[in-house]
Amino acid sequence: MQVKVLFFGVLAEVSGTGIKHYHDVRSISDLKLRIQDDFPEIVHYNFRISLNSELTDDDIELKSEDVIALMPPFAGG
Amino acid sequence: METNYLTDGPVSQKIITHLIEKMGGKTDSGGHMIFLGQVRADVIDGLKVKAIEYSAYIELVNVEAEKIKKTIFSEFADVKSIEIVHSTGIVNAGEISLLVFVSAGHRHQAMQACSKTVELIKVNLPVWKKEIFEDDSHKWK
Repeated sequence: MQVKVLFFGVLAEVSGTGIKHYHDVRSISDLKLRIQDDFPEIVHYNFRISLNSELTDDDIELKSEDVIALMPPFAGG
Repeated sequence: METNYLTDGPVSQKIITHLIEKMGGKTDSGGHMIFLGQVRADVIDGLKVKAIEYSAYIELVNVEAEKIKKTIFSEFADVKSIEIVHSTGIVNAGEISLLVFVSAGHRHQAMQACSKTVELIKVNLPVWKKEIFEDDSHKWK
């Protein structure tokens, strides 16, 4: 299975990309660890997560084609 | 991904005048309240902001903007319509980056609902800004 991860705001800069695919991730917590392995400095930033355009604070099991977004605090206006 | 809530670059005079013309057709409204957010040339650590580069999560902008409108319509019974337009990309200091246009039967609800809509946008709309300084360095906000 494969999921798509979107990096927004400063996290796009930290990760050097706006988008990255991950294979065989079980859950959101599992994914977070994989992302930290790739981009260790990400631990210094606050961010919220959305799963398929829905904000979530839960550790949800992931399925193929899920889209997860990492979003620093919003700063519109 | 289509969106009615985002525009590339500054919110243009054309968008603003188009909305004013469009609202003229709504004769059940007695008042329109328009908020225009403008990019400020702040000076930070001696460097002046020349522009802001906005980015957005379009799919979630659509979801959250719909939620904001729903909240406002349920709280302000007299509100007839709500338009939200936010910039993406580069907006120079002095240019408009946000438009909120609320029409209501009477002025009080138009003004209150517009103010609340702007506050909800600040908290809930997935938009990010990068301040670009005169020397082309930048800082995320």
